[in-house]
Amino acid sequence: MIRIEYETQRLSLRFFMVMLVLFFFQTGFGLLLAAQHIDPTLLAGTLNFNVVRAEHTNLGILWVLSGFIATILFVGPLLSKRELAAAWLIKVLFYALLAVVAWNVATQALAQQGVAGWWMGQPLLQEGLEYLEAGRIADVVILIGFAILCYVVLRTFPPLSQWNEIHWGLGLGVLALTLVWVFGMFFVERLDLQEYFRWYVVHYWVEGVWEVIHIALVGFLLVLMFKADVKSVGFAVFWGISLVWLSGLLGNAHHYFWIGTPEFWQFWGSLFSALEPLPLVFCFWHIYLDAHQDGKPIANMPAFAFLLGSVVLEQVGAGILGFTMTFALTNVWSHGTWVTLSHAHLALFGTFGMLGLSAAYFAVPVMRGATDFDQRPGRLAFWLVFTGMLGLAFAFAIGGTVQVFVYRTLGLDWFGGDVAPAMLFAKAMVPVFGIVFAAGVCLLAYDLLTLGLRERPAARDDTALPAPAGWGRRLSGWETGMWLLAMWVFGAVITLGLLSFNLHTVQQGSALFPYLIGGIGYPGLLLVTLFFVRRFLRSLEARGRVSLVPLELTAMPSPAGAA
Amino acid sequence: MSCKPGEPCHEGVKRRRALAVLGLMAIIFVALSAVSFLGSRGQAVPAAVHYAGFDAVQGKRVFQSYNCMGCHTIVGNGAYFGPDLTKLYGKVGPAWIEAFLPSAGSWPTSGAVKLQLQDKAIAAEAGVDTIEAYLEKYPAAAERIARRGAHATLMPNLPLSRDEIGQLIAFLKYTSEMNTEGWPPTPRVDGLAFPQATPLPAPVRQAALQPAEEAGAAAAGPASAAAHGAELAEDNGCTACHAKDRERLVGPGWGGLYGSEVALADGTTVAADDAYLAQSILDPDARIVAGFEPGAMPSFAEMLDAGQVAAIVAYIRSLGEK
Repeated sequence: MIRIEYETQRLSLRFFMVMLVLFFFQTGFGLLLAAQHIDPTLLAGTLNFNVVRAEHTNLGILWVLSGFIATILFVGPLLSKRELAAAWLIKVLFYALLAVVAWNVATQALAQQGVAGWWMGQPLLQEGLEYLEAGRIADVVILIGFAILCYVVLRTFPPLSQWNEIHWGLGLGVLALTLVWVFGMFFVERLDLQEYFRWYVVHYWVEGVWEVIHIALVGFLLVLMFKADVKSVGFAVFWGISLVWLSGLLGNAHHYFWIGTPEFWQFWGSLFSALEPLPLVFCFWHIYLDAHQDGKPIANMPAFAFLLGSVVLEQVGAGILGFTMTFALTNVWSHGTWVTLSHAHLALFGTFGMLGLSAAYFAVPVMRGATDFDQRPGRLAFWLVFTGMLGLAFAFAIGGTVQVFVYRTLGLDWFGGDVAPAMLFAKAMVPVFGIVFAAGVCLLAYDLLTLGLRERPAARDDTALPAPAGWGRRLSGWETGMWLLAMWVFGAVITLGLLSFNLHTVQQGSALFPYLIGGIGYPGLLLVTLFFVRRFLRSLEARGRVSLVPLELTAMPSPAGAA
Repeated sequence: MSCKPGEPCHEGVKRRRALAVLGLMAIIFVALSAVSFLGSRGQAVPAAVHYAGFDAVQGKRVFQSYNCMGCHTIVGNGAYFGPDLTKLYGKVGPAWIEAFLPSAGSWPTSGAVKLQLQDKAIAAEAGVDTIEAYLEKYPAAAERIARRGAHATLMPNLPLSRDEIGQLIAFLKYTSEMNTEGWPPTPRVDGLAFPQATPLPAPVRQAALQPAEEAGAAAAGPASAAAHGAELAEDNGCTACHAKDRERLVGPGWGGLYGSEVALADGTTVAADDAYLAQSILDPDARIVAGFEPGAMPSFAEMLDAGQVAAIVAYIRSLGEK
């Protein structure tokens, strides 16, 4: 695609821009959190850790949502083959988003004074629950915003009888987005019941809703990027969504192990959430197939890199790292420690954040009429945020393993005296990789904000492309399978490392097994991930050099047989 | 699971089948959920838990108001900046938390915990009324006093009112009573014996464990009443709330206080002389300084004799020139 087909697609641009600004500030708050972890007295009493963290998690959710909204608005008309319905409502949605962001950022600081704005039993200003820190006023505005999004999407779509599987995915996704949000809008007296419903929002959002929207949007972006057939991609989207919901509905049980709900949840949670990676493997395989259905050069490398990053980090962060801590016997140790941070950062930023960034790199040049834009900053920014985030996941995982041992196995609970000093090395690694990540964020935010507005660079230099040999040779299905296998082998190693905390020798105070196994598993998994993405992208970049050479189509795996 | 262009793929049928299976899953989920919250399970509920006349449900509101979960975890959920609070009440007991929360910026000393036990309601909740019995019943409190007592914490002082503190403790009492299916796992070893634990010199440990009067009496000498007062102030937890300089921690700073004109909440002023300072220690609510809440400071009438009060006043006087 080189230009806009429907005028209302342009409405997505402002949401992409807001997404970038919020992402920038979220990263800034993240760096501040990393600094406060190293020096807990930093800004204590002025800007307490819990306030900074609330801003960090809230902005994280808000910018991912902005990315979703932007992407849906951009692809909505293409999917429906007509202009968006009720363009004025989308403008209302935009200002509502800005208002909610400003309001929410301001009200979170009230937690320092213990002000929640209780009225009729509900906290109006902020409610102090992880991920759902927004107070009731913001909740209501957000609900209205979701309702507007639903209305616009469903009114824009063709009649139900003409829906393909991507329509179904997006339609159900936006409806569920709105529905699930309602479960976070009540004050619940019982802690166990409150946590039960809090995970309705948090788990069903990421696992039930965001994942569905993600699959549908990845599918359609692949259609746009590779001219893949809508019907076959749609069929894969159907299977992806079915697997997500069939594993994820009961998979939510892995949040109900230790919150005061009965023991039987440990069985259901361990069983069904172990199935949650299935749709992610499926999605991973499909991006390989779709990227290799022909050998044409990739026109927009940053957009594809972020899309690949999204699917790969979904596999690694959500799929594999989620799998390692989903069993009651491993979760009993990982729960409530930095080990979970490693999973959360890779899964949330990787899967959903990178999708929004991919869509932005695809859509912004089209809307600004700059499809021959300089792709170098985008590619560099991808590598900075990708390696930065893998490094952060590494630091969190190592810090978490130490934390489990010191805090849970030895039972030392003096965070300032015992736990934090033991974790200091990992805590120091966080800002190091955080700065790499932040550099990438600054670069991509600058690049996308000014893309098409700043002066065009000289024509692209194709000699910089890699030769189609070594890292640049064609990536076969077999090789991709081996990379995937290697990731899962290291995932199994990590699982064993967490399981080893149950061993008698570890319980007696020897950290050897968990440290050794974790020290192999985490770097192994993250390095395989890093090298796989490099290998994948190099092989695609090399197509620019071989685009005139006829390809051996027989060497490609048949999509039907492989999937 | 692929469908090539042009092939019939029967999406409609498959979609309906998938939705049917999903419905079955939802029925299982709802059934499990319903069983989870039956009253017959005997799970603790906040409406049934009270602490010294405070309500655990109100406590949950306080817990959310201050976004405690933004630094700590509760049932393992939250941030990982501070320790998990689920089982804290059962481990350290109410008097230690009562001593900690008003001045969260510093760790309670044994004197500060002892002071809380003077309160009949707190002693009744703790089930003991002497500090010796308390430390025996709550070894985690004894360990905290020994290793951390009077040190600065990494938690900022929060503007918690007396009622909010009681309510928060009621909430922590409730979470402590919850059945969390064996989480967090019980350590099998004494972590303090491992190199990961910050060691404290043996004399410090012993001194910190000794009740305040004995330690005070041992150190008492005619040489310097102010030096004795400084020790007493630390042992009794005064310095958790009162800074040596003019900084306001929880209460007014002591630096430059002696001899100054103090503005009171009722609009009058008073000179901070020996009599006023002694009265403020023994009966803090008699004359409240402007900008402070009554009830924030406990009475030390049962804790300190006249000589010890005079020593602390002498110490405050020695800070007067700063």
